[in-house]
Amino acid sequence: MKMMMGSSFPEEVLEHVFSFIERDKDRNAISTVCQSWYEIERWSRRRVFVGNCYAVSPAILIKRFPDVRCLELKGKPHFADFNLVPEGWGAYVAPWIAAASSAYPWLEEIRLKRMVIPDDSLELISKSFKNFKVLVLSSCEGFSTEGLAAIAANCRNLRELDLRESEVEDLNQSSGHWLSHFPDNYTSLVSLNIACLNSDVSFTALERLVGRCPNLRTLRLNRAVPLDRLAILLRRAPQLVELGTGEASDLRPDVLSNLSGAFSRLTSLNLSYAATIQSSDLIKLVSQCQNLQKLWVLDYIEDLGLEALAASCKDLRELRVFPSEPFGVEPNVLLTEQGLVSVSEGCPKLHSVLYFCRQMSNDALRTIARNRPNMTRFRLCIIEPRTPDYLTLESLDMGFGAIVEHCKDLRRLSLSGLLTDRVFEYIGTYGKKLEMLSVAFAGDSDLGLHHILSGCENLRKLEIRDCPFGDKALLANAAKLETMRSLWMSSCSVSFGACKLLGQKMPMLNVEVIDERGPPDSRPESCPVEKLYIYRTVSGPRLDMPGFVWTKDEDSALGLS
Amino acid sequence: MELQLALALPVHNSVKGFDLNDGGIESKEPVASRLWSYGGSLESKKCLKNKRSSEEAFGKMGGGVPQIFPLMVWSGQPNEEDDRKGQNRKTSSIVNKNEVEENHVVGWPPIKSWMKKQLHQQQQQQHHQAGRVKNDGVAERSGGRNSLYVKVKMEGVAIARKIDLRLFHSYQALTNTLISMFDKEQKFDKNGVNYTLTYQDKEGDWLLAGDVPWQTFIESVQRLGILRNGG
Repeated sequence: MKMMMGSSFPEEVLEHVFSFIERDKDRNAISTVCQSWYEIERWSRRRVFVGNCYAVSPAILIKRFPDVRCLELKGKPHFADFNLVPEGWGAYVAPWIAAASSAYPWLEEIRLKRMVIPDDSLELISKSFKNFKVLVLSSCEGFSTEGLAAIAANCRNLRELDLRESEVEDLNQSSGHWLSHFPDNYTSLVSLNIACLNSDVSFTALERLVGRCPNLRTLRLNRAVPLDRLAILLRRAPQLVELGTGEASDLRPDVLSNLSGAFSRLTSLNLSYAATIQSSDLIKLVSQCQNLQKLWVLDYIEDLGLEALAASCKDLRELRVFPSEPFGVEPNVLLTEQGLVSVSEGCPKLHSVLYFCRQMSNDALRTIARNRPNMTRFRLCIIEPRTPDYLTLESLDMGFGAIVEHCKDLRRLSLSGLLTDRVFEYIGTYGKKLEMLSVAFAGDSDLGLHHILSGCENLRKLEIRDCPFGDKALLANAAKLETMRSLWMSSCSVSFGACKLLGQKMPMLNVEVIDERGPPDSRPESCPVEKLYIYRTVSGPRLDMPGFVWTKDEDSALGLS
Repeated sequence: MELQLALALPVHNSVKGFDLNDGGIESKEPVASRLWSYGGSLESKKCLKNKRSSEEAFGKMGGGVPQIFPLMVWSGQPNEEDDRKGQNRKTSSIVNKNEVEENHVVGWPPIKSWMKKQLHQQQQQQHHQAGRVKNDGVAERSGGRNSLYVKVKMEGVAIARKIDLRLFHSYQALTNTLISMFDKEQKFDKNGVNYTLTYQDKEGDWLLAGDVPWQTFIESVQRLGILRNGG
């Protein structure tokens, strides 16, 4: 049937209409209306997000979307952050950059997460894209300050350089500190995040840079910048609204009062590096940040500090509390479930939580759930695996059940503590909007996994470690896996035989077995694999796998059609 | 060949047993092993390069000798948490002894490596500047030129606190602060319970605080203890 619509509006009009539609979901929907809409849409899509770099190839991407300006790619599975993915697994961005350098000369933004990016690629970026504006490298690795120097020197229109949590090799350059490679007439910096850098920062270069960039709004520095020097920077850039600092051991009263004006303007504060601030200083600090929306802090803040936070920061939306002594057996700070309860009571806009603690109760979780039905991201890490409710010694099934029941918009959940299959029943029943679930040391049987896979309709990412989940639930819910981005299971009970079967039967999935013991077919099929990573893809098995990753043969993939 | 890949069970069915053969994938089909390949050439070095304690758990991979592995993998190493809780572990977790933190599970708690490094580095810095280091890696006495943090443990209170002794110049000032610090913990009964301040010196001996001049005290104190007097 010929669609009349396509011929009644000129392309330019449709294109203009489409330019108001930004969400991927909506643009995907538009592209299915008819052939001409598909064509117009694909030529006008400017922003592409690839959640798994192996789900699609650069060639396929470029073929469909010929004029992309903003590219976002994610590589390794999330558990790579915790050393569960061996080095050399993959997620190399070089082929993407190479392809983009010729296909997308007008590319403006590149955002990468958990990918390996060499200096060569950084240099290629700096020279290929004349209008390059934004580079965000989140938890990336493979590059050094040389690459950064190239970016600084060549990207005249750079607005944002964000190296959040990446591993950067520091090479002592004879040409001077990489920051000084920003030319004198470069003034467009809006956001700079170099908190992850281990090396020293040339303070003079930094100060000059900050001084000549009137639009600088976000500054995240590393440990090498002490707090009193931070004060100097803040005076040079009073328009800053986001600040993060490293070493803050010099938080003396006079320094604090110098900064107090700046603090009240802050909307985001990251003190997770600052291991030497004690509780009372933290309380003083956060009490001054009435406009704070996001706080990342170490557990030195203690329950008392979180109470103060709850009283002062009514606009708080995101809280992350990290452990100062994650491997200590005994608690070293007075941080309990009470701190989180206080914040849940006092901060009506709080919707995103990451909380490390050593004790929890179902009561507290229920209270938090009732206080904050607007919760969208809830990640609780009780440090000792399988810790029960400290008051009743029961499992925490009910508590987490309350979370999923009351927080109807919950999109992300991380579980911990003592949990049975029951909690997964609750999650499967109530977690209808849940997109990402992290599970560790929980559950009793395959039934747990089955509840999740069969109940959570919007599940995209599932990562599991050290749970007694095996073949049954996985194979029974094989079709579900094609509706998800990825599944990670490590130290579970999934057999190699089941992996092979899945790989054979599901051509749209890559089933990767990661096993450092050697070839899995040298062991019985019933033997559980160390780790498995399953993801959907349109580009077949990848070609850059290291020796410890096994997947189905290319031939077998072709044979199943 | 049409494969029935519908979900095996309706969502509401929470019955324990579910039949694998009821619409899911049949697991009994033989799958030719040549369908599987490994990425790149088999470089045994690569395999073993990043080995964690899988080697400890499963023994070395001898060349070509097939080993029989049980379905449920057991690391053979009793887990400390288990003994304490007396729980029945159904799966193992792989313990990596090569990590900085001994006897801990790989990747747990879930903290990014850079943060672990940061915390470790900063704690090491404190160690190098002063004091000795306890086995658990945390200094009793730490700090730089401008601070001298020592642990304070009050009898009957689970959590120790830390206090910067450089903030004080006399025992009186110190005890005043300690009183307010532990104010919540004090269970004052009607008789009024007294507390005694003690400290551990460089030799490891516990002494009564107040006997030596403040300066001498500062130089040798490793940690503080607050003892209840009989009431």
